[in-house]
Amino acid sequence: MQDLLIVAVHGIGIGAIYAMVGMSFNVVFNSSGILNFAQGNLLVLGGLFAVLALPDAPSVGQWILLLPLAALALAGLVAIQGGITLLPLRSSVEQHSWLITTLAASVIIGGVLLIHQGSAQPAVHSPFRGFRLVGMRVPASYAFAAGLAVLWYAALRWFHTRVLVGLAISAIAQDLDAARAAGIRVRRLQVLAFAISGMIVGSAGYIAAPVMAIASDSGISYVMNGFVAAVVGGIGSNLGSLVGGLLVGVITSYAAYNYGGEFQDMVALALLVGVLMLRPQGLLGRPAARRV
Amino acid sequence: MSGSPAGKHTMQQMTGLRGTCRSLAAFLLGSIAVSVLAAGAACAQGQPLKVGEFLDITGGGASAAEAARLGIELAVQEINQSGGIKGRKIDLLTSDTQTDPTVGVGEIKRLVLQEKVELVFGPLISQVLMAALPVLNEAKVPAVGSTGSDQITMEKAPYYFSTLINADSQAKAMVNQAESALHAKSAAIISDSGAQAKSFVDSMKRELDARGIKLTGTQEYQYRATDMTPQLLNLKRGNPDTLLLFTSSGEDTGNVLKSLDDVGWIVKVTGNYTVATFAEAAIRIAGKEPFKKFDVTGMAYKAFTYCKADDLPKPFLAFVAKAKAFRPAESARLSLPFAATMYDAVSVFKDAVEASGGKTDGPTVTAWIEQNAGNHQGVLGPLNASPTSHWLAGPDMVTAVYPDRLLDAGLQQRYGC
Repeated sequence: MQDLLIVAVHGIGIGAIYAMVGMSFNVVFNSSGILNFAQGNLLVLGGLFAVLALPDAPSVGQWILLLPLAALALAGLVAIQGGITLLPLRSSVEQHSWLITTLAASVIIGGVLLIHQGSAQPAVHSPFRGFRLVGMRVPASYAFAAGLAVLWYAALRWFHTRVLVGLAISAIAQDLDAARAAGIRVRRLQVLAFAISGMIVGSAGYIAAPVMAIASDSGISYVMNGFVAAVVGGIGSNLGSLVGGLLVGVITSYAAYNYGGEFQDMVALALLVGVLMLRPQGLLGRPAARRV
Repeated sequence: MSGSPAGKHTMQQMTGLRGTCRSLAAFLLGSIAVSVLAAGAACAQGQPLKVGEFLDITGGGASAAEAARLGIELAVQEINQSGGIKGRKIDLLTSDTQTDPTVGVGEIKRLVLQEKVELVFGPLISQVLMAALPVLNEAKVPAVGSTGSDQITMEKAPYYFSTLINADSQAKAMVNQAESALHAKSAAIISDSGAQAKSFVDSMKRELDARGIKLTGTQEYQYRATDMTPQLLNLKRGNPDTLLLFTSSGEDTGNVLKSLDDVGWIVKVTGNYTVATFAEAAIRIAGKEPFKKFDVTGMAYKAFTYCKADDLPKPFLAFVAKAKAFRPAESARLSLPFAATMYDAVSVFKDAVEASGGKTDGPTVTAWIEQNAGNHQGVLGPLNASPTSHWLAGPDMVTAVYPDRLLDAGLQQRYGC
């Protein structure tokens, strides 16, 4: 029973990271119809920020101070990526060059990481040792990741329902042409959505750095599981991503515990296929109406 | 007039002249042919020897590939500076398999069919080699890499050699360590999900069974996984005397030890060759403390070990000095023992091609190495290959070490010293 509790806690921690990647997918998707496949490597860049910015023995104050900086740094970077991705598109919904652009961005980030640190996987120093639960140590990053995922969900909900700019982005999500006709500066808000997604993955990567593989080739695993979380939860639904991420994290951890580590990826993909077959819009997604 | 003697004489003269002309023509043609062949041979001798560096530069095998490149490129530089192999300088063409068999097939085709390389150095990952073998075998290109799967037999890879201690030898050495040094009666296995690891688990099960040691469980993790807690909790249920750890990167070793520390399961860890050779990367991730806490041992080539600090292996120290002069920054962070194994591999291929009169075809090079590897004097000492084995490192070249007791350049202290 104690083992299962630890497996569940670790699963929730890992799942929270996937959930944030999923929410980051949603923010961009809702405003532009674009799935930013560079999210995995952007998350790793958030971790790299922690590697580069934190001293060998950071204080709690230093660590807290650098968290918003990591979010802002990634926001700036992803805004530039978004601007470049959107530049050639008249309509991001009808044109699909973003598929290649976002994948290219991911490959470029991987290449830069490889040039920067070679094949090595640096260790991240954290001021927090973790907490003890049923005689075992749980890395603090898991608790922080779970908290941050809930915080981002609440912040996005507030932003999209209470803030004028957020409401405008929600309007784009509902009908891009109508929003444009109503005078909403669509392109500017889409770039802003990219920046917000950068803040999410930047802060997530920074917080999760001690439990992440910060390497040129590790982004693929995070983007795949984040995408599974988003689709299982229902693409476009942040609550869905939160639930989907936790579900993916807990189920894959349990699969490793009970059946073997070789079943982890298989179980995540089986979950994706199962949900798509039984409920194509995802657990909490809404079926989209389409004019035919 | 045609029947006159004068006419007859003329005919004889003409017949003789025709014969002379034929002889002259034959001589001239022969001379031209010889000249062309000689010129061709001279030309071939001056042409660079194209060699493929077929490595897993990105992906799970990346850290080992960086070290391998250091060893290969140092050896190539030395060979080129001393005039090449039989007068042919080496032209090294590098390709990245991305630790992906599918990419590896494309890259080996480019190297062998398009670039026409005559020798191949690499890869380091068994499943990449298995995918590339049909191309290498068809073209009869000799190759040397550092793969450890027992699935790579001489029948499947007739022109391929490996510098690595194979999975079977590692399994025997590790079980021997668990039994004789730790007096273990039961053991659990944790490994990555690569082909070499699967061979290892099979060998390990056979070896444990043969020695009457109870296997309490096996578990796998993906390359670059950072949290092995679920797998370790599963293995902990069996309460084994020792945990047999087979990894393919130092980072993975570090993450297993870190997870073990988090779980709080105090168990003795008997590690493989990677646990020892890439200990610095593991220490960077987990620190030195878990090595002591879990009494971690690893397997290493004897050539890279010491017992007392005043009795260090001189060939390896000489290699280290050359590597540091060649690429100081890389030498400071990469595994020099691993680099040395590939340095030796290049050296034995050079000897084979030179001794075979410059021939680079698979059957000739392979036959020479099979016959003469035991006489090779490199960093590793005499090599092991024979007509029945293409493993350049044999079981008697392996010993158990304390991975964290590191001296300069990765020298490790032997267990029990």
